[in-house]
Amino acid sequence: MALDTYERSAPPIFRQGLSTTTKLIVLGLLSITLMAADHRLQISQPLRSGVALALSPLQWLSLQPGRLMDVVGNYLSGVETARDAAFSFEAKTIAQAQRLQQVEQLSQENASLRQLLELRSQTGGPSKAVEVLYETADPYTRRVVVDRGQLAGIATGSAVIDAAGVVGQVTRVYPLMSEVTLLTDRLQSIPVINARTGSRHLANGNPLAWGGSLELKFVPSGTDMQKGDLLTTSGIDGVYPPGLHVGRISQIDRRVDASFATVLAEPTAIERGRHLLVLMPFKDWPARPVAEPVQNTPTKNKASAKAPQGGTSAGGKP
Amino acid sequence: MIMPAGRPLLLPVNPRFIGLTLVLALLLHMLLGLWGQYWVPDVLAVTLVFWTVHQPRRVGLVLAFAMGLMVDVHESALLGQNALSYVVLCGLAAASQRRMLWFPLGEQALQILPLFIAAAVVEWLTRLLTHDTWPAWSMLLAPVLQAGLWPLIGAMLLAPQRRAFERDDIRPL
Repeated sequence: MALDTYERSAPPIFRQGLSTTTKLIVLGLLSITLMAADHRLQISQPLRSGVALALSPLQWLSLQPGRLMDVVGNYLSGVETARDAAFSFEAKTIAQAQRLQQVEQLSQENASLRQLLELRSQTGGPSKAVEVLYETADPYTRRVVVDRGQLAGIATGSAVIDAAGVVGQVTRVYPLMSEVTLLTDRLQSIPVINARTGSRHLANGNPLAWGGSLELKFVPSGTDMQKGDLLTTSGIDGVYPPGLHVGRISQIDRRVDASFATVLAEPTAIERGRHLLVLMPFKDWPARPVAEPVQNTPTKNKASAKAPQGGTSAGGKP
Repeated sequence: MIMPAGRPLLLPVNPRFIGLTLVLALLLHMLLGLWGQYWVPDVLAVTLVFWTVHQPRRVGLVLAFAMGLMVDVHESALLGQNALSYVVLCGLAAASQRRMLWFPLGEQALQILPLFIAAAVVEWLTRLLTHDTWPAWSMLLAPVLQAGLWPLIGAMLLAPQRRAFERDDIRPL
């Protein structure tokens, strides 16, 4: 109770509840436990989903001023922008028309060639268009929240692309929305292939370099790599379909004293794009050949145990 | 009851008003978060601390913890990161609450500044422990701005309690 308040109710004398220090210790430990559970064990997703569901009306409300400004801005500068956009799209369509006409033929040709070579067919899986709601307020991470979630069938791990290339990956799914970690996030990595040379690399996010770029890890300094090389997804991860544009190499730093070169790439995806496409993860991915080493160890033991027998049989046969 | 001289007696606070201001502060916090700058002051923290200092029987650590969890989920930070910093902040505020009330709002702002810095340090340490990136220096501006906002937000939050005891008293005729 404040000193200078005209309070009608007297404070309780005996029922004071827990002391502030006790509460501070208990709640502090509780939040540390929660953090550990979230960071190490990843078991706090139900709690997160519940809170997110309760928060969603407030979040919707907090997005309205921005939307309103967009609407007003579009209304004021609408016709001019729309005309410009129409012109640019027309020019783009003409430029792409030739390639588009070839694509049909090429994909048929590709399919028949693949059939001839008995390779797995590449089929576009199901996808879902989503809209970016907001970038998360935490300035240390690169994540956006999109407006479709579990109820729309979004699954964790799905790849997210836009018109220009790969944007990121769905890392958390709430009932009504989901969270996409961008490629430039520090903890995000993506397997890529250099489209010119065919060499495979691993690109990690590097949010500090030039306002967000990709860093290729462990590139031997002798690797054939040039500025401007296109990196596409290699498709060996089972998450990203092969052939999607990821970035262009923007900087190569080869040092004499280091065995690895520092290679930075600029993502091709549009910065602050509004509409994205979520590609559902592969379903008919071939089973990973993990079983072999598991089988190997007992057979090895058996082999070592039965080594004299095998040796005699092998020796007896010829 | 002992109270500083020359201070008007305030009306009792309306619990619904506290709830409303906290929800509005959360909303404003979300709205400012869309900006994505390091130095944006945390309005929710200021409001929580203000009510902890002025109404410790109604607003306390448990509410601060719950609000912190909500902010964590919204920012998709580590669950409990903001909660810990809010709990520490409000715990310190509750400890210094009786002294704080003897000063006018402007001088309270000076005393509240170390608390905000402590909360920022707690958040910083959490980030370092969970192997996050090194924080930007402009982040240090946020506690100063929060302390600067204290008199303004405080005056706004106390305004309903400053009304006249009898509604007719302030009528000009």
